[in-house]
Amino acid sequence: MINEMVIDENNVGFIPSLGISFQVNETAKRIIELIKEGKSKEDIVRIISDEFNVSWREAYIDVEDFFAKLRVYGLIQ
Amino acid sequence: MKIALSGLNNTDNPAPGIGVAKSLKGHNLTGLSYDANEPGIYEGLFEKIYLMPYPTLGYEEFKNRITYIKEKSNIEAVIPNLDAELPLYIKYQKEINDLGIKTYLPSLECFEMRDKSKLPEFSKKLGVKHPKTIEITSLDDLILATRTLGFPIMVKGNYYKAYKAYNLDEAIEYYYKISNEWGFPLLAQQVISGVEINYIGLGDGNELIGGVGIKKLSTTELGKVWSAISIDNKPLFEVSKKFVETIGWRGAFEFEAMSDGKDIYLIEINPRFPAWVHFSTMLGVNLPEMMIKLINGEKVEKKYNYPLEKMYIRYVEEAMADFKDFTTLISKKEL
Repeated sequence: MINEMVIDENNVGFIPSLGISFQVNETAKRIIELIKEGKSKEDIVRIISDEFNVSWREAYIDVEDFFAKLRVYGLIQ
Repeated sequence: MKIALSGLNNTDNPAPGIGVAKSLKGHNLTGLSYDANEPGIYEGLFEKIYLMPYPTLGYEEFKNRITYIKEKSNIEAVIPNLDAELPLYIKYQKEINDLGIKTYLPSLECFEMRDKSKLPEFSKKLGVKHPKTIEITSLDDLILATRTLGFPIMVKGNYYKAYKAYNLDEAIEYYYKISNEWGFPLLAQQVISGVEINYIGLGDGNELIGGVGIKKLSTTELGKVWSAISIDNKPLFEVSKKFVETIGWRGAFEFEAMSDGKDIYLIEINPRFPAWVHFSTMLGVNLPEMMIKLINGEKVEKKYNYPLEKMYIRYVEEAMADFKDFTTLISKKEL
């Protein structure tokens, strides 16, 4: 379902088929964009680390945590 | 066209009649009510109001009343909007038509096929899942059902009301609450975690003519929609279409489902317009008007598309009416 998500200018991610929405921050928005581009989790960690100027370890923890949340909300399998 | 319709309640538990009436504003509307307290009577939507005998009194009482209304107001069509009266209208639709009043209803066979007690089998026909459901007619049945299904569990009436119970005490409380008001059987149902989505549609006996999908955003304590959003859910649309095509549904319906993002679970199919029907009209899919065209044998263009991410907002309105209208309706049974 994550591929369906449309994020508007208010950083609200909307799933058109289910009418559910989520408030996302800039990092989450970027991770979702990267997932949609088909990037692997490892690539996403590296890109987030580079773009947000944080250590690989910190990026890894945040990305893992975010993927767990996406699973909880049923947005990824 | 002179059209009569029922379901004029417009409280926080609204009936569909007002939404249907607002969608048919260009016609001469007659309201059929069971209670002079129904707010819809006083909203200025109807040129004439008649109190109706309760459906439990049987067809003869109904026939006498509807014949009188036909003679007095020359109604040409009737749209029943309440679950409790639909079996009577459906069973006697030919007789009603013979009185010169057109209807647009499913056959009795189709109507019974989507009965809550038959949904486990019916959902297989449609290729969708259905939460495990157990019919209960006694407290023992309820206790056994909670052992089979676990908690939380849905305790539902066969026609109205549904509550989620988290333990046996709550389940028993709801069991009495529903059965005291609506009788038996009751249904105990597995709780499906996911998003509740609904589709309002109109079938012509062969095909789906039009419809709109929504997700409820907020509900009242009774579970009635208070705000919603228009959605485009392909599996929900496909199964609604299949529902009409598989059994040859003629008339309005509401397909209630749960989606876990992967599968669709059929919860219920209401054999009428839901109370939020005017939202579909506001989205450009005027299903009551399409129904009237079908009633008149006119060609109707199918309408499956509508704007997405539009919000439906229900709100409270206040009005003033003459008390004399209220007393006239009670004493003379018409206004």
